[in-house]
Amino acid sequence: MQVTPTQSVIDPLILTYILRIGIYILVIFYAIFALVIVRQVTLMTKTLITPVSPIVKAISIIHAGFAIGLAVFIMGTL
Amino acid sequence: MEKYTCDILGSMFPAFIKNPQSCHYQGQDDDENILLLLRAHPITNLPWILLSIFIFFIPLLVPKFILLLNLDFSFVPQNFSLVLIIINYLLILVIVYEGFLGWYFNVNLLTDKKIVDIDFHSILSKSIDVALLRDVQESTSHLAGIIGMIFNFGDVFIKTAASTESIDLKDIPHPDIVSDIIMDEALKNRGG
Repeated sequence: MQVTPTQSVIDPLILTYILRIGIYILVIFYAIFALVIVRQVTLMTKTLITPVSPIVKAISIIHAGFAIGLAVFIMGTL
Repeated sequence: MEKYTCDILGSMFPAFIKNPQSCHYQGQDDDENILLLLRAHPITNLPWILLSIFIFFIPLLVPKFILLLNLDFSFVPQNFSLVLIIINYLLILVIVYEGFLGWYFNVNLLTDKKIVDIDFHSILSKSIDVALLRDVQESTSHLAGIIGMIFNFGDVFIKTAASTESIDLKDIPHPDIVSDIIMDEALKNRGG
């Protein structure tokens, strides 16, 4: 007996649109979250000053830049 | 710098540092020295480490589940799948980074004047509890649970005369030693 894949009841085109909007929302929220992390790390490094603090702060800034870059790239290409 | 370490985790990620060098906190007096820097035991990071390992394998498991359930996702463009995989690994990055930050910056400090408990409860919430050593009345250590017994970590409860609230140092390594050091320093501050 040949097994056929389950057919979706929703139009694939609509599903693709929903997926696209979902991805847009995710990357936008991720970029905002990355900026909030920068603020959080700034607060943390001001509260506890250790030799690792500048490295942690640099990582958070690079991460935020990457998140914003990715959001722009995905919204431009998808 | 003397470190009390009893296991590999403790030596890689120090959670018990005596007389930490080049480490300061906001509001530290010029003549104030940090005697102990305490973090939660590294093993307490295990939940987010396991979660990130599980999420790491999701992109490998999802195609198998799709095949198993015989679902048709052929309409999803290839670049969408790639983006979803990128988002998945970004999620891991956030969990690991936030987990590390939460562990690294949630510290308890014992100085020659005060006990400072710095807590970052969430992204936008911070609390700093400070108690003067001369006000410390009682220090109790509590070690419980199988993991706590194996890795020798637990809680220290400090009761002070100045306030009704006590300071709790959670999941710190060597709670008995910490409790003893706190009481010794409190006695020194009171001139005992």
